[in-house]
Amino acid sequence: MSEVGFYDVRMIDATSTSIVLDNGNIEEISVNYSKGCGARALCGGSWGFTTAEGEFDLKAAIDSASELAAQMNSISPKDEVKLKPVEKPVIKNIPTAKIDPADVPIEEKVQLLKDIEDHAKMDGVSSTSAVYSEASVKVHYISSEGIDCEYSLIRTGFAISAVATENGSYQVGRESRFGVCGFELFEKNDALALARSAGETAVELLGAEQAKGGTLPVILDPELAGVFAHEAVGHASEADLVLEGSSILADRLGEQIASPLVNIIDDPTLHEYGYYPFDSEGVMSSKTTIIKDGVLNSYLHSRETAQVLGGTPGNSRAQGYSEPVVRMSNTYIDNGDSNFDEMLEEIGNGMYLTGSRGGQVNTGEGIFQFNAEKGYLIENGEVTRLLRDVSLSGKTLEILNNVTLVGNDLKMHSGRCGKSGQLAPVSDGSPHISISKALVGGV
Amino acid sequence: MFEHAQKAIELAEKLGADEAEVYISYNHSISADIRKTIIESAKENVSQGIGIRSIINGAVGFASTNNVSRIEDIVNISVSSAKVRDSDPEWTSLPSNAKYPEVSGTYDKRISEIGLDDCIGLTGKMIEGALSVPDVNTTSGSFSTSCNKHLIMNTNGVEIVDEGTGVSGFVDVITTKGDISTAYDFEVSRSLDIDVFGIGASASSLAIRSQNGISIEPKKTNVILHPFAFSDIFENTFEPSIDADNMQKERSSLIGKKGETIATPDLNIIDDGLLEGGIDTSISDEEGTPSQRTPIIENGIFKSFLYDNYTAGKDNTSSTGNGMRHSYVSTPSVGPRNLLVEYPSSDVIADTDEGVFINTVIGAHTANAISGDFSVEARNAFTIKDGQLDKPIKSLMLSGNIFEMLNKITGAGSDVRKVGGTVVPSLRIAEMSIVG
Repeated sequence: MSEVGFYDVRMIDATSTSIVLDNGNIEEISVNYSKGCGARALCGGSWGFTTAEGEFDLKAAIDSASELAAQMNSISPKDEVKLKPVEKPVIKNIPTAKIDPADVPIEEKVQLLKDIEDHAKMDGVSSTSAVYSEASVKVHYISSEGIDCEYSLIRTGFAISAVATENGSYQVGRESRFGVCGFELFEKNDALALARSAGETAVELLGAEQAKGGTLPVILDPELAGVFAHEAVGHASEADLVLEGSSILADRLGEQIASPLVNIIDDPTLHEYGYYPFDSEGVMSSKTTIIKDGVLNSYLHSRETAQVLGGTPGNSRAQGYSEPVVRMSNTYIDNGDSNFDEMLEEIGNGMYLTGSRGGQVNTGEGIFQFNAEKGYLIENGEVTRLLRDVSLSGKTLEILNNVTLVGNDLKMHSGRCGKSGQLAPVSDGSPHISISKALVGGV
Repeated sequence: MFEHAQKAIELAEKLGADEAEVYISYNHSISADIRKTIIESAKENVSQGIGIRSIINGAVGFASTNNVSRIEDIVNISVSSAKVRDSDPEWTSLPSNAKYPEVSGTYDKRISEIGLDDCIGLTGKMIEGALSVPDVNTTSGSFSTSCNKHLIMNTNGVEIVDEGTGVSGFVDVITTKGDISTAYDFEVSRSLDIDVFGIGASASSLAIRSQNGISIEPKKTNVILHPFAFSDIFENTFEPSIDADNMQKERSSLIGKKGETIATPDLNIIDDGLLEGGIDTSISDEEGTPSQRTPIIENGIFKSFLYDNYTAGKDNTSSTGNGMRHSYVSTPSVGPRNLLVEYPSSDVIADTDEGVFINTVIGAHTANAISGDFSVEARNAFTIKDGQLDKPIKSLMLSGNIFEMLNKITGAGSDVRKVGGTVVPSLRIAEMSIVG
């Protein structure tokens, strides 16, 4: 019978504050303190996970994870799992908050949020809401291999949404910015202008036409193309999905899977919302080129998957005390050398899709579905009428191959990504990209 | 942690709160997870936390923690947050103590006694079920059990402790020969009565049947939505519109529609906090209002929005027992309990000459939650010909509007499923727009 050969623990101490404003009134001011740990142990080929909250007993948590792993392995024995050896992480260039949000009086935050919300109000807008959030987290990692490291990070952000109504029709405009920074977020981003833009989007969409579905050439804006990079390509490149047989990218390393113009990168070292100095396995973060000049170059790895498939670990992440899973950080399509006008000229007639209302992907079959916030008809090389309720769906590999131009205006957007029932802060981005053929759905 | 509730309330009052409420939840769960065809890992989690609402002149402050030693701090913060806010004239009060109904089927002693070995055994049966169909592998899945207990205590005399249990099993599968096709199945229950072998077998059989899909032309046709597909669309389009908070903030298409016919006369939709063995069944909601059964649509007529205590106060009506919390870290807000969608059943596929059957959809969360417009990708879809499922469809986009759909329901199966809190049969909707 196997012995427990490895354990590690993440100890997390966090404080978060959120303020919710709705139609000018404070809906909620909420503060949360949390402390706890997630421990895991490996016995042969079996993992045991446990969590403990509050003023926890570290040794008891490790023992409990070890017992689970040992019990699992004795009932359901399997091939031994080996972890890719790693060095102790070197922590450098960690983002710091220039203005610690904890030093800003709550009254000032409420007033700022009220101003933001005010700017989303305009003729046609019937209701607005705004959310502010700040979190400070301290993560301490230890393992049976002697790694012992920690970091502290502050995350700040806001979101605004506006609803416009007319004759029983409702349209929504949203904007948000989240970052690994402090209150200076509001110096770097013009929150008031973003709020105005959310209001304008909602009002504009009231007058938009319904899109007619079909197969068309399309241009995606940086936000929607970023969602494509994350959802359709990024998830399929997660090595746990590759190993379990639910990725269309399995067995394709070194293959040309996209137009040679396409480069897709995941980089947790960027000071964007998906930043981390080391991952949930204590592995120092590093940049991964997933697709290089159209060729599948690398998957994203945990220590376990990197050992099996060969590769570099550093993309194992967990929400709170949950078990780590392979996931993305800051994922983007890298700049090319085209510009938007060239794309319009090339396409002639088609559709320009901007913004995102989210999407979903089936990584096993390589099929995805996204909804754009707005669509525009492109007629004779010009952006003309506004369309609403436009969705984009299709096969990941076909779309990657149908990319004909890649812009040079890369922009990142922050958000949260869900996998295995856990949410993680991420960002994704892209320049404008042009696609020769895609299935666009309308009502 | 439960023993600190009374003291926390007293402290809030001492610090100046007019009213105060403590919510404590405790959850113990065990699960075994599948990776490929093996049971890879075991999880055992105990989590608990406390959330405190303090009210001063109608202004609410809230704070929470999972750390017993920080309880005094969060009481302080909840009171000082309430002081930052302007008084809210629409605030009435926290719920008062009331007579609570009895519910059944929400606690199964067997689940509270189950160990990891039993969980592993049941997970193994799910894999066996899936592998009983040739040329299919499981890719991921899980069997889990949970026992939970929560306490609601407030300065108006509410003091409720409720305990419940639950189990869930889900599995994802993929074909291993020929055309790649995936499928999933799951069941959730308050009792240890789910057919784990059946979950695996049904997912695998669906994946095999979905292979070698054909392309179809765009058209308007009869669409039968499996409970999974229907509930996914329903939760993202209809549910937000019956939330009184959304109505009061002018974010609902049902504003001013009470008493009007908004659906086919054979349709009834009921919010039922008392459903025997329901996933969202409990003696009260999560702020202490007794659970009840609320007709939402009766014979096609829109009867009521769902209210929590605050939104009910605003409209001079009573809470419908829909003050729900995502967890102890959030204040209550309007949320559905068990939503029952009822329509006279028949052999609905056999009664359909031509159309499409859709098992699941992806992308439902991208719908317009106010207008009810949606456009989703259908998975595991089949053509229907002469009353039978005919050919699998490779790729299919389904677009529509939930409020138009409610008027176009023309049939239902007898296959009622509990998809989380939504309890619904397969439903046939006429003239849906599909793009292949």
